[in-house]
Amino acid sequence: MGVILRLKKFSFTYPEVETPVLQDLDLEVEAGRCYCLTGPTGSGKTTLALALKGLLSAGRYEGEIDMPSVDGSPAMAVGMVLQDPEVQLLTSTVGAEVAFGLENLCVEPAEMPQRVITALQAVGLEKPLDYPVDKLSMGQKYRLLIAALLVMEPRLLILDEPGAQLDPEGLDLLRKCLRRLKQSGVAIILCEHRPESLLSEIDTFWQLDGSGKFADGRYRGEEHAPLEPPPPSTTAEAEPVLQVQDLSFVGVGEQPVWSQVSFAVDKGRRYAVTGLNGTGKTTLLRCLAGFLSPQQGAVQILGGAPDAYRLRGRLGCLFQNPQKQIFENTVGEEVAFPLKRFGLLSGTVEERTAEALAACGISHLVDQSPHKLSYGQKHLVALASVLAPRPELLLLDDPLAGLDDGHSRAVMELLVHYNLQHGMTMLWTFHDPEAWPGWADQVLHLEGGRLVAR
Amino acid sequence: MLPGKLFSTRKVCLPSVSLEGPAPAGDAARVGLRMLLALTLSCLAFAARTIPFLLVLTAIDLALLWWLRGKQLSLRRELKAFAWQTLVILMLYLVRFRDLAGLWGGFKISWQLFLALLPSMVFVRSTSQTRIVQALNRVMPCRMAFVLSTCLKFAPQLLAEVRSIYEGQVLRGARILPRDLVKPWHWFDLLHCVVVPAVVQSMALAGNIALAARARDFGSQPRRSCWPGL
Repeated sequence: MGVILRLKKFSFTYPEVETPVLQDLDLEVEAGRCYCLTGPTGSGKTTLALALKGLLSAGRYEGEIDMPSVDGSPAMAVGMVLQDPEVQLLTSTVGAEVAFGLENLCVEPAEMPQRVITALQAVGLEKPLDYPVDKLSMGQKYRLLIAALLVMEPRLLILDEPGAQLDPEGLDLLRKCLRRLKQSGVAIILCEHRPESLLSEIDTFWQLDGSGKFADGRYRGEEHAPLEPPPPSTTAEAEPVLQVQDLSFVGVGEQPVWSQVSFAVDKGRRYAVTGLNGTGKTTLLRCLAGFLSPQQGAVQILGGAPDAYRLRGRLGCLFQNPQKQIFENTVGEEVAFPLKRFGLLSGTVEERTAEALAACGISHLVDQSPHKLSYGQKHLVALASVLAPRPELLLLDDPLAGLDDGHSRAVMELLVHYNLQHGMTMLWTFHDPEAWPGWADQVLHLEGGRLVAR
Repeated sequence: MLPGKLFSTRKVCLPSVSLEGPAPAGDAARVGLRMLLALTLSCLAFAARTIPFLLVLTAIDLALLWWLRGKQLSLRRELKAFAWQTLVILMLYLVRFRDLAGLWGGFKISWQLFLALLPSMVFVRSTSQTRIVQALNRVMPCRMAFVLSTCLKFAPQLLAEVRSIYEGQVLRGARILPRDLVKPWHWFDLLHCVVVPAVVQSMALAGNIALAARARDFGSQPRRSCWPGL
């Protein structure tokens, strides 16, 4: 297979920064091969991907990106799927979404339907062309975006962190899709810090070492001893803090999300709710917190009906992408905000803030602006701010989404520490039913619209 | 040697329930007319100064909502938004005029604003983005039509972001529940904890949408063609 892209002594520096994020990089990409770009968080994986696609607009470049052209081909050279599928969907139906690139290449409308159908088949997504994109699961949306690039016949496809959003089923379908693409001669670059589920398709690993250069081998994160599951939480006797009885929720278009959900949560224990993308885990948590009204059933939480006014200070919630709740000028103020609002004395506020920051390992960031921190650090700041008030019950919606292994371990250890140390009841959700076995006292699984204990 | 095509365009059968194909003849004109109707109703709301005029417009808007019910439209949701908006405006009027007599004026302004926004919301929620682009393509360049239709779609996405931020901040202790906001000194929390992150998030969202469009070569050609389906 021929070389389709070559990087020669490529360096890139962001504006207003002195140190280059990428330094003197050389690489070659061959058709029909799958590469995995690894490296610690913030090492420049996404920057390199954006550079290959030509999407870096501001900054200083040095070196060359050499891409042999194909005479007479209207195809795009490089296609890229960014990390979050939700913000990349630009239209409202499957057909229009896939055809968006063809519109940009000014392809004749009469040619479009056949090409769109072929691209959808290449990713194994055979939906009607007028099917609404917002009814697709996360895995389906991701494959739809790949189809939206394939229809433009790229020679190189770059996928940024596919593992961050996809559940095991979605990853399995993606793996099959990658195999088909390789066979048809498309080169693939995965920017991924957890490539385990796609290993069978990866031919070559590249590793960015954190200083902008390539290192040999594959980045495996810091070496940690294997984590043993923590001891089960200890409670004198079962005292329910949450009781859910025959709960049913109907979503958009009268589609039932789940029905007849019943379970109880005892004080001081840890629970996991698992379920593939789109099974309604977030909806369930929003119902428990009183932000959504179920069509049927009853919820008793901390001694009453779910009412955000009553639950404030007693119930904590860490919703998905908690970084977006950050607004204060320093990390210390961000963590102290809820403590002040709950009316704690200033001494207690300082003590709890310091304790939460230390537990999260971010005491050194106390005076820094939270807005300038890395993704993982912002996540820890948001977590510290919900742990600091020590709520009686803490709901966490996919608390490890987008985190690398090191940060994931830190978060899980932190949650267990607060559970064991302060008797805090916890309920967290994961989209991988096999994730962190033994870390919850009980696992509840959402499947087919029903909740079952595992 | 690079292959000309990277995956074969083999003969395929259409998915059995596909509705693929051109939009019905005259569809763009119909969508254009609906867009014009929505804009006219919105403009009339600003011109309405008397109660009978406002009542007639309200009746027309509600009839539209009833006619298009089930297409992701909910009278309850719209009325909830109206109630919120009215509450905020009345509070602002109370602060400004320090007199209950000013409240009627505040209610009228809120009513007008609601009638100005409702037709556009109904139109956006009941019409697919592709059909809006197809209609706009007739009166403006294709690229501008896409940008305009994306702006219309951006509003509901941003509202979802604001909702998510709001819920997170409520349980962090921010005094922003309706019963908190009865006290004006709590309004600062709304600005500080919701509006500021929402502005940051809206800029990030706009940047991400632009990046996603460029990742699929939007703007690489001087012209665009248009998907013929729905």
